[in-house]
Amino acid sequence: MVKNRLLAAGAVLAMVVMACSSSATPSPAPASAAPATQAPASQAPASMAPATVAPATVAPSATAAAGTPKDGGTLVVALPGDMVLADPTLTSDSNSSYVQQNVIQSLVGLKPGTLDTVIPVLAESLPTVSADGLTYTFKIRQGVTFHDGTPLDAAAVVYNYQRQKDMPKSLQDAYNYYFGVVFGGFGDKSNLKSITAPDASTVVMTLGTPQSTFLLTQILPQFGIQSPTALKAGDSSNPDPSKSPYAQGQGGLGKSMVGTGPFMFKEWVPNDHVTIVKNPTYFDPAGMAHLDAITYRPMSDTTARLNALQAGDVDFTQQIAPNDVATAQADSTLQVYDRGSSCNILNLGLNHSVKPFDNLQLRQAIAYALNRQSYVDAFYSGQAIMADNWMPPGFFSYKALGLPTFDLAKAKSLVAASGVPADQLNLTLWYPSNVTRPYMPDPKGEAEAVARDLEAAGFKITFKTEPWATYIPDFQSGKLPMFLSGWTCDWAAPDNFLIAWAFGFQGGKPNAQFNYGPPELKTAFDTAMAASTDAAAATAWGQAQDILAKDLPTVPLVSSKNAAAAKADVMGFVPAGNLTELMNTVWLNR
Amino acid sequence: MTKYIIRRLLAAIPVLFGLSIILFAFIHLLPGDPAVALLGQHATPELTAEIRAQLGLDQPLWQQYLAYLGQLLHGDLGKSIITNRPIIDEFLLRFPGTVELTVGALIFAVGLGIPLGRYAARHVQGFGDGMVTVISLLGISIPIFVLGLTLQYIFAVQLKWLPASGRLDPRIAIEYHTNFVLIDTLLDGNIPAFFNGLSHLILPAIALGSIPLAIITRITRASVLDVTNEDYVRTARAKGLSERRVGGRHIMRNAWLPVVTVIGLQVGGLLAGAVITETIFSWNGVGRWTVQAIQDHDYFVVQSIILIFALIFLVVNLVVDIGYAFINPRIRYA
Repeated sequence: MVKNRLLAAGAVLAMVVMACSSSATPSPAPASAAPATQAPASQAPASMAPATVAPATVAPSATAAAGTPKDGGTLVVALPGDMVLADPTLTSDSNSSYVQQNVIQSLVGLKPGTLDTVIPVLAESLPTVSADGLTYTFKIRQGVTFHDGTPLDAAAVVYNYQRQKDMPKSLQDAYNYYFGVVFGGFGDKSNLKSITAPDASTVVMTLGTPQSTFLLTQILPQFGIQSPTALKAGDSSNPDPSKSPYAQGQGGLGKSMVGTGPFMFKEWVPNDHVTIVKNPTYFDPAGMAHLDAITYRPMSDTTARLNALQAGDVDFTQQIAPNDVATAQADSTLQVYDRGSSCNILNLGLNHSVKPFDNLQLRQAIAYALNRQSYVDAFYSGQAIMADNWMPPGFFSYKALGLPTFDLAKAKSLVAASGVPADQLNLTLWYPSNVTRPYMPDPKGEAEAVARDLEAAGFKITFKTEPWATYIPDFQSGKLPMFLSGWTCDWAAPDNFLIAWAFGFQGGKPNAQFNYGPPELKTAFDTAMAASTDAAAATAWGQAQDILAKDLPTVPLVSSKNAAAAKADVMGFVPAGNLTELMNTVWLNR
Repeated sequence: MTKYIIRRLLAAIPVLFGLSIILFAFIHLLPGDPAVALLGQHATPELTAEIRAQLGLDQPLWQQYLAYLGQLLHGDLGKSIITNRPIIDEFLLRFPGTVELTVGALIFAVGLGIPLGRYAARHVQGFGDGMVTVISLLGISIPIFVLGLTLQYIFAVQLKWLPASGRLDPRIAIEYHTNFVLIDTLLDGNIPAFFNGLSHLILPAIALGSIPLAIITRITRASVLDVTNEDYVRTARAKGLSERRVGGRHIMRNAWLPVVTVIGLQVGGLLAGAVITETIFSWNGVGRWTVQAIQDHDYFVVQSIILIFALIFLVVNLVVDIGYAFINPRIRYA
């Protein structure tokens, strides 16, 4: 009997593996909740334009459908996974953020539809910044109340930031990821040295060292301002989030996920749905929601998601698999949203501590050997672009670097010119075995395509693979010589890709995954981060990118697009490559 | 009988104990790390180590097992690594969904399988028998995910007769008392919602019930054929009993036994099949949760679900064995 049961258990697992492999968006979510295409000139400190009192939310954009919006109705949205917790400060995944950003607002946000402008939201205007780039002074919007009736004032803002700074140890990192990573730690270690409210409408934040991308990071839902009354009543800082009614979304409206946004939290049935409803007293009449309610449903299987959309079970799916795009486009009852430039990179990692990857000509040979357009066509159904930088296009200070494109003859001649002995042309290529990512829909197939191209240029490739969960620590600790990996943006400034993901320095030493980092790169990074003007930051980021283009430390392959789809009668949706999509402009033409 | 039941239940304890060891070892042998799953692309070696320590995963395996066993003996299944909620709470929230689906699939399989099997046996070697054989071969050979997606495509996407996913239209708000959609809607007298829930159940129940349907049909056919050739059936016919009475009282009564055994065994298969069916139909049940937990390396959840499923399987087997005594009075347990 035990044997039978084990067989049954084995069968369950085997079937699960099959089921998983059909799912294009695996679970534990790296956050893609942040800005995508960004030219946040304004972010940088001192030279900030005078405060403009822009409407906090969404002016109907050019992409919004013509016609007079109709009020009412419920929009059913399919998400790749469930919300993790109801408190954005304790989550870092895109599914949670996608819901929360409609309910909880930050001091600043991105202007919807444009994606390149930071606008004030709960701040009345963009902050004034001291000449040394250390002190940010925000004026808080007046007359705003939280969904539980608590008035928004400077003290509420201070409470929110101070709460994050003082998070109990058990809530740091795995839960409250972004505060730690943006400010370099919690408590005394935090670069947010102080946050004070000199009067009821003024908040002053003081940094220890300048962070030129500070303002951009503050648009994250994780820096959203929540009702102090509800946070306290719901035991939101309980070291064990399972014991916090606030984090668990219990009690409904006014008890959990209490912000100031155009929608209010109603209920969360884990693994089944989250429902938010219209905030009839939203402070900005121009941003008032049209929909009565939105229900978000977790649906992990991509085919099932398209079926549900076609059958009318859902009105909108936040992601659609690249190979379903053509099907959806051909269906007259549906519409597909191209989110434009995406917010991720797939990269062929090369570890410079392993020969022959320390050889520039050989790295160039690899880059010329790869027919990246063929990957875009074969694996992304055209829903991707060839990467030309280590960050996606549209980021602040992004430069088209003119990286090598497919040229087999050049690749072969560079291999010869590199002087690398023949035995070092036998390379091992690693790919993850049990996962797909938006930027890597078919790791094995893509590894095979890369290998095919490299072998044509004279290399000999051996494959190795391991599950994602061991793959990540292995490449990060420098154990893999050549490997496929990528990154999805957290926020749309260069530091998120160039430093946090790829080429950051720890204790003066370069990240172990690539083991590449000349001193001049570190200098450029440090200068860019400490810059007190946009111009200075852009210059330094530009220098960093030039160094990378010259050294070609790894080969960025593609940036995948991330299409969404909806029923044809869903109007007014403003897509954004970084998923900072607010639903208050959406209406149903039915 | 009571003694027998107690003895069987006591015998289940070492089985579950052994299973807990094997499961624990099995799951910890799987490559992967919940800390990395939790952190995703942000999993730096330092953060990973910190979180492993928080979860107790840096302890020696035997210590982790003893801690786990200690919890189990206190009736505590532990907490989910990902949501940090007590596993038993999450299980109870989702289990009704799986029960609803499984019962729906069983009703489909038994309700259709037994008449089909009887029909095939009565028309053995005929056209009808051939058709039934084809249906059951198809049922057993099409993988659930293929059948599920095909049913969705035909009946939901193309014909739009039935919904493709979920347990209830999300636009319909109902009060949850028991977490059984069909029961809760009836309790509130919400008939439209009840029928909406029922319409959501049909496709997944067919997808999940297809394999048991095929098996039950074949077993019923074989069993009925066996019994039909027995002397007492011939005698019954010879003494002039109506065909209806021969079928009901003499054939089926005796043909039931293997059929009931098979139905009991199907419960294990249905629970396993629910993993796939629930994923395809976005059905909020334990199966879909299992998939999520395996993807997330949520060890404690996977362990607990399989352990609970094993317990359910043991109990169902016991119920089937007891059921024999009612069907066949010659069987007596002591």
